[in-house]
Amino acid sequence: MKFITYAENLTQLKELSILVETNRIDRSELEVIIGNAFLSRYSENTIAGFEEMIVFNQKAKLQLVLEWDVLQQETLFQKNVELVSKLPLHEFKAVRVQDPGALNFIKEKFPWLKVQLIMENGNHNYAGLSRWSDFLGEQLDRLVLSNELSREHLGKYASDLKNDLEVLVFGRILLFYSPRLLLSPVNKESIQAEFEKNIEAYGTSEESPHAGFPLIENRHGTFMFNVKDLYLLDHLEELKSLKIAAVRFDLRFDDSFGHLENCIDLFKGRIAHSEIAEIKAEHPRPMIKGFYNINKTDVLFTKLKNKRIQRQDDNYIGEIVDVERDQQMALLIKSSHLNLKSGDEVQLITPEGKTKTLGLKSLTDTTGKLKESAAMNEVVLLPFISGVVAKTQVYLIQK
Amino acid sequence: MTNTVWTPELLSPAGSLEKLKVAVLYGADAVYLGGQKFGLRQASDNFTAQELREGVEFAHSRGSMVYVVLNSFLHDKDLEELPEFLSLLSELKVDAVIVSDLGVITEIQKHSNLVVHLSTQASCLNVESAKLWKKMGVTRIVLGREVTIKEAKKIKEETGLEIEMFVHGSMCMAFSGNCVISNYTQGRDSNRGGCAHSCRFEYSIDYKNNEEAKKAYFMSSKDLEGIRMLTEFIEAGIDSLKVEGRNKSHYYAATVSKVYSEALAYYKAHGNFLSDDLIRWEEELRKISHRDYTTGSLDTHADESSIYNQRESDDNEYVVTGVILEVKDQEHILLEVRSAFTAGDTLEIMPFSGVTINHTIDSVKSIANINVPKSKPGSVVKVPYIAGAERFNIIRRKINNVSAAV
Ligand code: SF4
Repeated sequence: MKFITYAENLTQLKELSILVETNRIDRSELEVIIGNAFLSRYSENTIAGFEEMIVFNQKAKLQLVLEWDVLQQETLFQKNVELVSKLPLHEFKAVRVQDPGALNFIKEKFPWLKVQLIMENGNHNYAGLSRWSDFLGEQLDRLVLSNELSREHLGKYASDLKNDLEVLVFGRILLFYSPRLLLSPVNKESIQAEFEKNIEAYGTSEESPHAGFPLIENRHGTFMFNVKDLYLLDHLEELKSLKIAAVRFDLRFDDSFGHLENCIDLFKGRIAHSEIAEIKAEHPRPMIKGFYNINKTDVLFTKLKNKRIQRQDDNYIGEIVDVERDQQMALLIKSSHLNLKSGDEVQLITPEGKTKTLGLKSLTDTTGKLKESAAMNEVVLLPFISGVVAKTQVYLIQK
Repeated sequence: MTNTVWTPELLSPAGSLEKLKVAVLYGADAVYLGGQKFGLRQASDNFTAQELREGVEFAHSRGSMVYVVLNSFLHDKDLEELPEFLSLLSELKVDAVIVSDLGVITEIQKHSNLVVHLSTQASCLNVESAKLWKKMGVTRIVLGREVTIKEAKKIKEETGLEIEMFVHGSMCMAFSGNCVISNYTQGRDSNRGGCAHSCRFEYSIDYKNNEEAKKAYFMSSKDLEGIRMLTEFIEAGIDSLKVEGRNKSHYYAATVSKVYSEALAYYKAHGNFLSDDLIRWEEELRKISHRDYTTGSLDTHADESSIYNQRESDDNEYVVTGVILEVKDQEHILLEVRSAFTAGDTLEIMPFSGVTINHTIDSVKSIANINVPKSKPGSVVKVPYIAGAERFNIIRRKINNVSAAV
């Protein structure tokens, strides 16, 4: 299993290099993601700073991965393509992208460059993941999976897919990515969106039980993160046994880079999880396992609907649209293939699920005239039955 | 000018069978709808198999296309149920399915010959991305709302794909498919139809510079209105103009379908939009419930003027009085009541085309012919016959005091 993390600047890259030089982690086990303010979502790195890191690494020989994870409308995409084309791409082990445009560009123009494909946004099924994998073939280094997948799915994908997989084990959970600048307009007096540094803030709504959503605005737009960060440090062994090829430690925020050595020691098995309890305890926000144990984000959907007010089968004739107590009920014929005739028998199912039957001795239209039969879109009046209300569904009892 | 000027397809939302009929009758060239599963609008009255059959027959018989949304980011177990639904869609000859997930596309291609349109949820934003999706077999791309018309033109020219763009309706402030607020805060998957609209809340924003927190509806987007951009859409050759809003009312479906179809018909006939009706069309779009309008990113990428920094409100100059269920020539109109009204009120009927018909009604009766002092929402009432009224016409009423409407 590989240890994946970010270096935001030369200082951090040097620290990582020292850890390799001092054998705290093998060179082959470590991958370092680096980016710049134009291609990476949160990076404040200038092009000069970014180039400095590349030059340093020519000696340090760490495995560098280029982060190009912004989403881009065509105009911006063209600018970024120009920038990427000028970069010394051979200095990187791989490039990591989410935008399918960036993926297609790399595949077409740099077929020798490995791709780490970010699939964190949806991509919750085997059929899709394996199609992406087939599409890239040998060029795929690994798929970066969504943190909404449970361990059950991670295990299944790791055993069934032919490519390597990566998951986040520590760090912020992104809730949205907007291309719009949302923070600077609210605080115009003190903030100008000049994009040199990220604008950071915390959002709290009285309409939500959660407080303090971390927010970042920069040239790419606005990002909001969950009020709780992801923590799966107690599952590293399990992920290894599930054959997850790479685990990512996102130490970019809240001074978490200070945990780097502990994370590496834990990863290498030099210390037990119980020995780093302070990481979680001292973190500025609560930490959660997310959907690692189970994802039930679809269970509420069935409750949003009342099945009884939905038409169910071929005998469906229509819906009671009004009830005049002790007098009449208006039935709108909705079936395109069944007519209602006098003498027919119908079953009525109320929204509460009560069932009634009614024999139709005669049919009347809304002007009071007797009718032999009624077809789609016609309204007929039926005798009142207690307990029947509007939205009651009516079915023909076939004889 | 001859009648040969090309105009794009108008694609309206159909949140239910009745809304489908309303949209088609009011001029939609195509409608999009969801089945009971696999779409992003879990709260709308999605179509049962029988309703789908009837909806497709209704639309096709009037020359309108039907697209079915399968645009959730589905999990493995959701996919197991997909083939059965796909055979139904094939049997019904729906014109295309709208999909965002490559796994779903793969399953569709495995089990059917259905035409695949890429949903806006996939956030396709550039030429290269469109080229990739073309390789995956999609024939049309519903571009992300962040793309300008100029960029869309380039995407069309360089890929040869059909291009669909949103012309009207609510917008996410996030890149579509890139917002999971509800997943983590409400336990509901926003990419499987569970969005709780947390972006519409007021937030207090605490900047890290020790200033007092600022309160703002800072991430709520204004609604898109593209009526003034129709020339640009046409000149760019955008194939389909989509209206958002499967969860919205019959009145909304009717108004947007009518306004945009009338505008496009005018262009078809005259080759321009130099019509006095433009003001009327805009006024009509202001009569439906909406947040402040913006052109979003249609012209230039959306800036701070696209943020709707205020509380959501239903206040409107007009209320929907009802939908016509039945017209008995020279006798009465049967109306499904949506908001209360009384005899003496002036009602406005929205015909399927042309200007509204105003009529002051002198009686309101129940189905049992008893005079009703005030109609109750949810009930069905009879009002006197009004010439020109047709089944499925929407009736509305101007109100002075909004809160008076029930
Ligand atoms: S919360 Fe807002 S931005 Fe997010 S999915 Fe829902 S509507 Fe879109």
